[in-house]
Amino acid sequence: MRYLVRRIVLFILALWAISILIFASLRILPGDIATVMAGINSSPEQVAGLRLRLGLNRPLPAQYGSWLKDLVHGDFGFSMLTGRSISEQVAARASVTFPLVGLGIVLALVIGLTMGCLAVMARSTRLRSFCHMLALVAGSIPVLWGGLLLILLFSRGTGLIQIFPSQGFPDTGWRRPAEALQTMALPAATLGLVVGASITRYTRSALNDIAGSGWIDMARSCGMTRNQALMRVGLRLTLPQLVSVVGLTFAEMITGAMVVENLFALPGLGSGLITDIGNRDLIAVQSELFMLAAFFLVIGLIVDLLHRLLDPRLKESTVTGRGRS
Amino acid sequence: MSSSKLKTDVQEGTVRHEDTTAGPSTDPVLNQRLKAPRKGNPLPWQLVSALLAVVLIAVLWAGRSYQQPTAGVTAGISKSVSIGFRLAPANLDIRNQSGAALDQALIGNVYEGLVSRDQTNRVMPSLANSWEISEDATTYTFHLNPNLTFSNGDKLDAEDVAWSINQLMEHHYHDADQLQNFQSVKAIDKDHVQLQLTAPYANILWVLTGRAGLVFDRKAQYDPKTQAVGSGPYTVESFTPNSSLVLKANTRYWGRQHRAKTETLHLRYFADDNAAVNALKSQDIQVLAPITANLAAPFTKDTEHYSVHSGAGSDKYVLAFNNKGSKTSDMRVRQAIRYAINHQDLIDSRGGVDQPMGGPIPSVDPGYRDITNLYPHNPERAKRLMAQVGYTPDKPLTLRLTYPNTYGTELGDQLRSQLKPIGINLQLQVVEFSTWMQDVYTNHNYDLSLVDHSESHDFSQWTNPNYYYGYDSKVVRDLYAKAMAARKAEDTDHYLAQAAQQVSQDAPADWLFNYRITTVTLTGLRGFPLNLNQTLLNAWKISYSPDKPKTSGPAARALYDRPKWRSSDHATFLQYTIAG
Repeated sequence: MRYLVRRIVLFILALWAISILIFASLRILPGDIATVMAGINSSPEQVAGLRLRLGLNRPLPAQYGSWLKDLVHGDFGFSMLTGRSISEQVAARASVTFPLVGLGIVLALVIGLTMGCLAVMARSTRLRSFCHMLALVAGSIPVLWGGLLLILLFSRGTGLIQIFPSQGFPDTGWRRPAEALQTMALPAATLGLVVGASITRYTRSALNDIAGSGWIDMARSCGMTRNQALMRVGLRLTLPQLVSVVGLTFAEMITGAMVVENLFALPGLGSGLITDIGNRDLIAVQSELFMLAAFFLVIGLIVDLLHRLLDPRLKESTVTGRGRS
Repeated sequence: MSSSKLKTDVQEGTVRHEDTTAGPSTDPVLNQRLKAPRKGNPLPWQLVSALLAVVLIAVLWAGRSYQQPTAGVTAGISKSVSIGFRLAPANLDIRNQSGAALDQALIGNVYEGLVSRDQTNRVMPSLANSWEISEDATTYTFHLNPNLTFSNGDKLDAEDVAWSINQLMEHHYHDADQLQNFQSVKAIDKDHVQLQLTAPYANILWVLTGRAGLVFDRKAQYDPKTQAVGSGPYTVESFTPNSSLVLKANTRYWGRQHRAKTETLHLRYFADDNAAVNALKSQDIQVLAPITANLAAPFTKDTEHYSVHSGAGSDKYVLAFNNKGSKTSDMRVRQAIRYAINHQDLIDSRGGVDQPMGGPIPSVDPGYRDITNLYPHNPERAKRLMAQVGYTPDKPLTLRLTYPNTYGTELGDQLRSQLKPIGINLQLQVVEFSTWMQDVYTNHNYDLSLVDHSESHDFSQWTNPNYYYGYDSKVVRDLYAKAMAARKAEDTDHYLAQAAQQVSQDAPADWLFNYRITTVTLTGLRGFPLNLNQTLLNAWKISYSPDKPKTSGPAARALYDRPKWRSSDHATFLQYTIAG
């Protein structure tokens, strides 16, 4: 309990520090939204008028103060550019990115765990090294190139086997789940393959470490075969490590999926953030970055708590006040 | 910790060593913990692979069934048309937000002005069906069409017109400064509006075809960033910033001539060229504009399904020299750069569609003359000029070229290699548009800059010494003033041509080329404007009827289902994809 309280206090302090950091760093960027909105045929009067209407001529501490006040009240503000509520905008973008990343992770786990286990458990040495090699090769494929390859293979219009749409997200959104899922197929496969390769490597090395340990010997001496021991005891022991990796990968992919989103013209969080920064829509950018930072911290918190749940040794060490090792 | 616990169990087991039941171990405790062995194979691989196969087949089947064309077709004419564009509007606030994408989507379609333009850039009647100009060309009286309405049902009258223009001037909305010599505007009665100028202004009618002349509903309350209430043939059905804009035919449209031919128009915006090309190939969109001439190549070959057109535009790729900069204020340096640039090479590398231009006025604007002979490609002359200033290839002048990242790095690289032999070391600084706006446009902190000036009728920027070019010529200012004060169109044209010639001679910039828009349409699409379609899109004409194929057999089926792509096309696509 004390641990939880400490983590939450740290969490809030970190958020506050992040809010200052985000606000300050964005103000260093050259250019502002008024000049971008006014464009290259604008007069100084027009830009001045826009600044006034957008409230950009207020002193910076006042701007920060009102932003923080709104944040505390759960109001992320309105985008200066699109005039939409930022939380709605983020929700709309997240409704593309989260399913994409979720599907990608599921696919990555299916591929990664299967291949990782195979790379350790398969009887034939050839199959084991084949799995290992495949993971190395797939892991070195740049996401962009992998995506292009999938487009050339499977996209409607250009592909050899024309089954999936390769661009855009339907205007109807998830109200027509079949259509929406179709557009997710290739991007999620791209993410899944590349991330799956890295999960394969993690699983393989973690299982390999465990395979040589006393736990497996013990399990085998209790009568399990090597593979039974690895599946029942080994996998369970690697779980905490895998959960950390998957948690962090998930958080990373929220913004890391940007390349994939751009290639497949999906209006997701990453590509949205880039557009907003380019347009100097600072209120939107700072609120979006803040939400992302909060999300990363929450994921970190969840991973830590899960860790303690999966590995009772950690809990005991804090209860008795001893260190981790 | 856990292994020591197990050890204790084992020890306890040996203490209670009474019955040795059958099991793999001699230890009864361990035997008790042993789970019953599973029958058969512990991992039913056959089952897993069978399931995977079923899932795969289901997905493939779903993919096939999804390929049916989505557009509803009645009596051969499609009810909806999807159009692919490159640049997206960030919001719909046409009074504050700059960018040609907004003009393209909204002017003439959702909002209408007093007057409008056709695709050859001529002024046409719109809300006003006629107008009178006073003798001294300072009073314009517009006669409005009868029974004008906005899409929300409100009546549109002369009060709305006067209110819209007065708001524009009062709040300095976008393009307010284009309405030069403005004195006042008022409604004489409900069908007549009078615009008063302080002095004649030849561009006034053309300016009123754009944002400055748009008429807004003074009674309507709406968020202009996300909604639009206008009097045009279309209304905004939905808008997703940077992604899509759906226009629906306005059922209350007041006019007959511009009534929408297609019920729903989906304007879709593609940040990525390849995504756009893919959408066209899979027929998710029926038009793509613009497309680079290189990417259009595969479509040019497939005349059965696609038509590729190039149309005139007012985009000028201006390589501006900082005329007040320490290095480029010397006219000989500026002239040398102009002589050194091989415009035809630049154009050829982009697909050979664009047009060379020798001065600031494009072919669609008044005052256009072919003055490409003023600074022909002549590296020797350029070298001599640079030598006069004291620079040679061995002792080069270092110049910085700052330009927005939307134009890619290729143009900059080409310019660098063209300027190297004459003794200029060009350093490229590719920045975000907002940074360019700050450093170059606002602070004038640059040597060379490259940007696409897409607007038509924008010659006045050469008469403003405070503009980022820093170009100041009294001769040009006087000629421009004469052109704007002229009563006859031919006089305006004549003086503008003289002014353009003078600007070009002074070499305050180089005009790399006049960008021509390449548009690809599916066979069966009609009425899509080809000229100027990046700033003006009279969408009411657009219709799509997927014609029945004339031939039968596999080729005809392909037309109806979707185009079949030969392996050579894959290769071409891949090649451009990778090159792009």
